[in-house]
Amino acid sequence: MLRRLSRLVQWIEDGALVLVLVGLIGLASLQILLRNGFDTGVAWGDEAIRLMVLWLAMLGAIAASRGDRHIRIDILGRMLPRRLQQAAMLVVDLFTIAVLVVLTWQSVRFVRDAIAFEDTLLDGLPAWWFQLILPVGFGLMAVHQFSIAVLRLFGKRATSEPIGGDSP
Amino acid sequence: MIIATALILLLLALLGAPLFAIIAASALLAYSREDVDLSAVSIEFFSLAEMPVLVAIPLFTFAGYLLSESGAPGRLVRVTRALFGWMPGGLAVVALAACAFFTAFTGASGVTIIALGAILYPALATAGYPDRFNLGLVTSAGSLGLLFAPSLPLILYGVVARIPIDDLFVAGVLPGLLMLIMLAGYAVFVNRERRQSFADFSWREVAGALRESIWELPLPFVVLGGIYSGYFAVSEAAAVTALYVLIVDVVILREVALSRLPGIMRESMLLVGGIMVILGFSLASTNIMIDAGVPQRLLELIGTYVSDQTTFLLLTLVFLLVLGAILDIFSALVLVVPLLLPVATSFGVDPIHLGIVFLATMQLGYLTPPVGLNLFIAGYRFDKPIVDVYVSTLPFFAILLISVVIIAFWPDLSLWLLSLS
Repeated sequence: MLRRLSRLVQWIEDGALVLVLVGLIGLASLQILLRNGFDTGVAWGDEAIRLMVLWLAMLGAIAASRGDRHIRIDILGRMLPRRLQQAAMLVVDLFTIAVLVVLTWQSVRFVRDAIAFEDTLLDGLPAWWFQLILPVGFGLMAVHQFSIAVLRLFGKRATSEPIGGDSP
Repeated sequence: MIIATALILLLLALLGAPLFAIIAASALLAYSREDVDLSAVSIEFFSLAEMPVLVAIPLFTFAGYLLSESGAPGRLVRVTRALFGWMPGGLAVVALAACAFFTAFTGASGVTIIALGAILYPALATAGYPDRFNLGLVTSAGSLGLLFAPSLPLILYGVVARIPIDDLFVAGVLPGLLMLIMLAGYAVFVNRERRQSFADFSWREVAGALRESIWELPLPFVVLGGIYSGYFAVSEAAAVTALYVLIVDVVILREVALSRLPGIMRESMLLVGGIMVILGFSLASTNIMIDAGVPQRLLELIGTYVSDQTTFLLLTLVFLLVLGAILDIFSALVLVVPLLLPVATSFGVDPIHLGIVFLATMQLGYLTPPVGLNLFIAGYRFDKPIVDVYVSTLPFFAILLISVVIIAFWPDLSLWLLSLS
């Protein structure tokens, strides 16, 4: 059950990422075509592009959380003896989860204010539609970090791989 | 109290906490200390959606990842080999030139070693170059080209320092060439006995290699020509590049199956997301630091010890070398530039020159333990102990270090081309 749920979540996360990236490439190209070819452009296009970049950043960060591949330093951790290393990892995981929970909550408040003040983006659409990615994103990152911490605690996951040096 | 929390955060960072969490925590703590509503951190983060130049980051990164998954690395090697292979030490020069070109597109995230190293390392061995030389060459070439457009760190510096990115693209050309030429000179010098060159120069091979790369050839012209001529904005060039590479590799050449595309997209956006969350929270923490007058205090502090530009630049170099050894280039950019820039300007350092010096020095960070990314990737990729990789890069490191010193104390090398336009 839990496994099926996590697979569904992953499918939605990856699907959204692909969709937004394809949309971004398409819309950005369309804007160039319209600007250079027809001397016009979609009025809300540039703003939509910027919002899509933010969404992509969040979706990428969620994927990084899921794979435990955020940018980190990790000099001391590697030098500690195994036992101590595990304890340190637990502390680090708890810290990260705590930060993400606070961020989620503060983003919920941010979105709630935007709803209350009826902020708008993109020619009159409610701003909170677009801002929702912050609480949702940080929330999902917290959940992923939590499940990684649990897996690590039971020895299912040894270390984390850094970003960029992708596993070929 | 402030110092205690800073030390705890530092310890957590060294133990391996994600950097974005460290920066977010320090921003949250600073806001609560200054009695600012904590949701302001989310508001600052959302201002990522108000920076038009950022769109270049996901688009170029995706294009670079896609290129590295296609047959482009192999074709790039063939073209450079046809052009430079006849020289003594020719294949080493080929390796350097191809890596520099490719890194400019992939943004120096370690992809170059994976994509090109796998072709070049065995080719160098077959041609009879000594193993230690090959390992050092491929490892250090993996981050060469950082100073050439449209590399990701250059764009990011422009974003953080609020400098036109086109200017940075122009400024990086000569310093980048200096690094390339110095390394190539060393490679030729070491292999001067290797008179028997790798291949004879033949117009037919050049034509054949060029014909094979017909689809990639327009890319540098679109990107570099478009940007340098002012026809495209940087973000537009990024969109054109992404769309073009997508169509060529997936539809025309069909080297990347459609089913692999989501995985490549995810992998590239993982890097983008990782960098941009750090950028977002550092926007928040930088603002509160500037409000609290940290840059001024830093300036006063440094001003009591340092009085002239030369000493300042020298200290900056040492500082950046150490920084590069522990922080990756993206985090270092985002965290340090907002503090370093006002100080450097007050010492009369041009912001564009500072950017080039910053990136050139951080490039060395890819080769310095304990966290030199290239060392790990090369060790992993070529199945060598890290110590071997490290020792074999030492001569290359020394040459790059000399070039960085030249770049730092010869500002006109970075600024001369700009003064022409």
